[in-house]
Amino acid sequence: MSTVRYHVRHRTAYVYSGRIDLCHSLAHLAPREEVGQEILAHHLDVSPVPHYQMARKDYFGNGTNYFAIQGSHAEFAVISTFTVEKSGRVPVLPDSGLSWDRAWNRRLMVEQDETGICFGNYLLPTASCPALDDIDAFLAPSLKPGREIMDLVNELMARIYTEFDYVPGATDNSTPLQVVLEQRKGVCQDFAHVMIAALRRINIPARYVSGYLETIPPPGVKKLQGADASHAWVEVHSPAGGWIGFDPTNNKIPGHQHIKIAHGRDYFDVRPLRGTFLGSGGQKLSVEVDVERV
Amino acid sequence: MSSKTGEVSAFDYRIQGDRRDEALSRDGVTAPEWGELFASLGRHGSTVLSDWRNTAARISRERGLAYRPASIDGNPGEGWTLDPIPWIISPERWASLEAGISQRNRLYEKLLEDLYGPQRTLKERLFPAEILLSHPGYLRALHNLPPGNGIIGLGLSAFDVARDTAGQTFVVNDRFDRPFGLGLALENRTVVNKVLPRLFGRCGVRRIGQFFTDWFAYLGRCAPSGTAAPQVVILDSSEQGKDSELGFLANYCGISRAHPSDLTVRDGRVWIKALRGLVPVDVLWKTMAGRDLDSLESENSSARGIAGIFEAIRGGGVAVASHPGSEALQSPGYYPYLPRLCRTLLDEELLIPPVATWWCGQPKALSHVVENLATMVVKPAGPHHDFRTQYGSRLSASELADLKAQILAHPTKFVGQEELLISTIPTSRPGGLVPRGAVVRMFSFQDGNQGVQVMPGGLARLSTESGVIVSTRNCGESKDVWVRSLLEEQPFSIASAISQTHLVSPDLVPSRTAENLFWTGRYAERTDVISRFAARVIDVRFQGFPQEHGIGQEHEDLLLLTLFKIFDCEGHLEEAKDADARLDLILRDRACPVGVTYNLQRFFNATQTAREEWSPASTLTISTCYEGWNAVPNVVGQNEQFDSKLEMLQLNLSAFLGLNLDSMTRDEGWALLDAGRRLERSFIVSGLLSFLLKANLKEEMNALYNESILYFLDSVRTFQSRFHDTPSTELTVRLLLGEADYPKSVSYLLGRLHKVLRKLPTPGQQPHPCDLIEPWIEKMRLFNATMNKGKFRRRETILFLDELFAFLATLSDALTVSYFSHASKHR
Repeated sequence: MSTVRYHVRHRTAYVYSGRIDLCHSLAHLAPREEVGQEILAHHLDVSPVPHYQMARKDYFGNGTNYFAIQGSHAEFAVISTFTVEKSGRVPVLPDSGLSWDRAWNRRLMVEQDETGICFGNYLLPTASCPALDDIDAFLAPSLKPGREIMDLVNELMARIYTEFDYVPGATDNSTPLQVVLEQRKGVCQDFAHVMIAALRRINIPARYVSGYLETIPPPGVKKLQGADASHAWVEVHSPAGGWIGFDPTNNKIPGHQHIKIAHGRDYFDVRPLRGTFLGSGGQKLSVEVDVERV
Repeated sequence: MSSKTGEVSAFDYRIQGDRRDEALSRDGVTAPEWGELFASLGRHGSTVLSDWRNTAARISRERGLAYRPASIDGNPGEGWTLDPIPWIISPERWASLEAGISQRNRLYEKLLEDLYGPQRTLKERLFPAEILLSHPGYLRALHNLPPGNGIIGLGLSAFDVARDTAGQTFVVNDRFDRPFGLGLALENRTVVNKVLPRLFGRCGVRRIGQFFTDWFAYLGRCAPSGTAAPQVVILDSSEQGKDSELGFLANYCGISRAHPSDLTVRDGRVWIKALRGLVPVDVLWKTMAGRDLDSLESENSSARGIAGIFEAIRGGGVAVASHPGSEALQSPGYYPYLPRLCRTLLDEELLIPPVATWWCGQPKALSHVVENLATMVVKPAGPHHDFRTQYGSRLSASELADLKAQILAHPTKFVGQEELLISTIPTSRPGGLVPRGAVVRMFSFQDGNQGVQVMPGGLARLSTESGVIVSTRNCGESKDVWVRSLLEEQPFSIASAISQTHLVSPDLVPSRTAENLFWTGRYAERTDVISRFAARVIDVRFQGFPQEHGIGQEHEDLLLLTLFKIFDCEGHLEEAKDADARLDLILRDRACPVGVTYNLQRFFNATQTAREEWSPASTLTISTCYEGWNAVPNVVGQNEQFDSKLEMLQLNLSAFLGLNLDSMTRDEGWALLDAGRRLERSFIVSGLLSFLLKANLKEEMNALYNESILYFLDSVRTFQSRFHDTPSTELTVRLLLGEADYPKSVSYLLGRLHKVLRKLPTPGQQPHPCDLIEPWIEKMRLFNATMNKGKFRRRETILFLDELFAFLATLSDALTVSYFSHASKHR
């Protein structure tokens, strides 16, 4: 298997109970071009047609789309579709040859990664990945002196996978990390934040990745439309060079089934779609994701 | 200017221990720049201080300065007090301060440019990266913007300067994101100038007006290219009252002030919602937190900013000062590295050092702070609100140990600073002058490539603490700052200077201001009528005039019921246990919708939100109304005392309304104020008349009730001179409904409403309000013709009044929808 090709469709729709007069949105839905991930076509379809729009790259180099709908509307939908070619290469964990307790170097803070962003961005706590005592407590059992960095990261991923329960609906975007640590349950986004917060405590650069995961239904069962979902995982910078993916939700090194959209310090840097609306009434959100192998 | 030392002995001013004083040396020699002030005090004796203090307090109260009004739920406002004794600075001292602040402004301007651009200082490790990268005010969304964007750099900055015992000058604080105090400095100057006009003249004080004019003219020049007459707006996120200093500034300079909810982004530009529809804004002077500015891109999900404004800035559709990410520079963490940054960025030596600071993120600095904790001032390195500044010298051993543990757990979050024993300045107290520690806040801006302008003056803030901290939260005492001039100073009018910059657009009435003017009119009239109800009830009860037939109580109950029914809140009345409790609802209750206190508060709030509309005289009557009523503690059970208070309130309200009639320009804002008054009055009159007609009363009570209604509507005398008769329902109705020439009749009021609403533009998708009134003017005419011809028809009149009452509610709604349509909020 040399390459795998996917067709992805991600539809986000809002239905309002009243009329909306003005809507501003910011989308992080354009997939990144990466080593092992080639974007063949990407299309963003917004309805109603925006009166004003702008595409740019954000601080981290992610594709960002801004659009404003300035007329009265009762529904709003954004459909992102793209075709991506993933390398079928099975990832291997490189041995950095460095132990976690000796690798730290203050100078790393302002050095830049391959994308020109200083590591300091990925080394410091954020509102979603704070420095908590409970993070230190969770981290402690993994901190064996002399342990090789990637080995430690790998074990941390496995521990999140076994010690936290995956419970959809247990948290939402505003649940503080402290609560996730206390209840030991959450969703992919929470697990990514736990892992990032822990790694940053020991000065290992870690970043948040948003994307999709191909799901394969059990044999004989037909895959449901829209059944896939957005996914989140972590990338860690190896002292040997390069960012390496870790998926604590599945205890897996991301391979061709992980399709990456964007990365940042935490979820808030790469929120898929955020918007503000001027108008009256409530709103109903629906999200559908299809990841189809073609 | 001559130095007359030794004359100080006319009164007693002693310096405090070893501390340095700005006016008096340790050997008792007066600094020459203070000579005139001390001489003047010597002549008058120190008793004059009380007069000066009282005059200053009165003027600032009248101007509304000393007052941050109570919030709507009745929490008392925070006061700012002004000490009339200025901080006097010599020309030589000023020259060195000005040079130092000017350099610091240039330095931070360069630093800002670098941090949001190439980040050379970061990459060359001129300061620790954590300070910037973990700062919540560092807005990555604004990093490396394309050319042609609307960023104007730091805009207006504030620097707090202090001197220590050895006479060394330090900067102790910088404010870029929303530098508080510029409006207050202008107000202090205005007040002190009124208190000490002759001394001001003798001292040859530098004028500060040109600085304000230059600042706004500079903002005008920052407009996107090709803008002929730039629209400059002050953006102020505070709700009414709080930080009202910006209202002063806007009023004084004639610049429009807007709240985020007044502004909207469309087509990549910023627009202000005004009476005339959406008007494009070219330049914003933002005085709200930059990180909350764009509710779309803010991390704070409850930020109430302007969605999409960052995109407008990126595209250059609007120019914004200050840089929304300038808060990233507000950290004492940079202080240890400033000399180095100054050499690299400006190729100059730093003129005024910052207070000695150690950032605990560096191991050496950390051990220094921890080892010397007892002499350190520990502050958060960034805007972390969960940590209050700690003075090591004031902590017990166990508190020091706790603080040490806190620092060691998260060293990067803290800085230690040397505790400065700041110099003192003479400060007035009723009995004489005393020394008080003081910090001067200086204001400056970099005028494009033309260099930095520093305001020749500032805001001095007094401290009760010895250390470097002068908290606006803890100590609200301030002073004017007089910089003595070597040249002859000319009087300067900011208003006329700014009017020549063509930045003032009197046509621009923001919708929110319009709505508040409308409600100012409505609440003024409502408060007036309710206060008349209260006065009448008190009269009836305590003057006892109709008591003889035992109908006093019945009459009182009837009046209260009428009032509560008109405003549709009988529920409150039913809950009151007796007659005193019912009267209390009107007089004292803060939550009762027909209470004087409640309505006066709303009147006041509306006036404060539209503060920039009022003339100084109107401002004075507003504060007299409000403070007069709220000043005297209301003793329970002594309702008689309210008699004169109510009378004063009515007098002050009519002074306010009369002044506006005379002094406001007849623009759209005025039209709404007047429409609010007339609409409210029409409501009340038609409601009262309908009640009167529906009441089925015995003859004697009916006459009394009629008289009361005429009293509420201030129509007793007119009635008497018109009819020479005892009040009767028919005559009351004829006067107050049909008499077209009588300004208090509904006929007149409707005509007036029609006339003033004509001034308003036709709203986008709604009919003009005049189109709604016209059929009613015709109906009124026909009704009056019928009423004047034949017999008085009670039933038809009631029907007519009730229909009219309903129409007035429709009209009010129509005005809201057509002109104040910011009811729907961003989510």
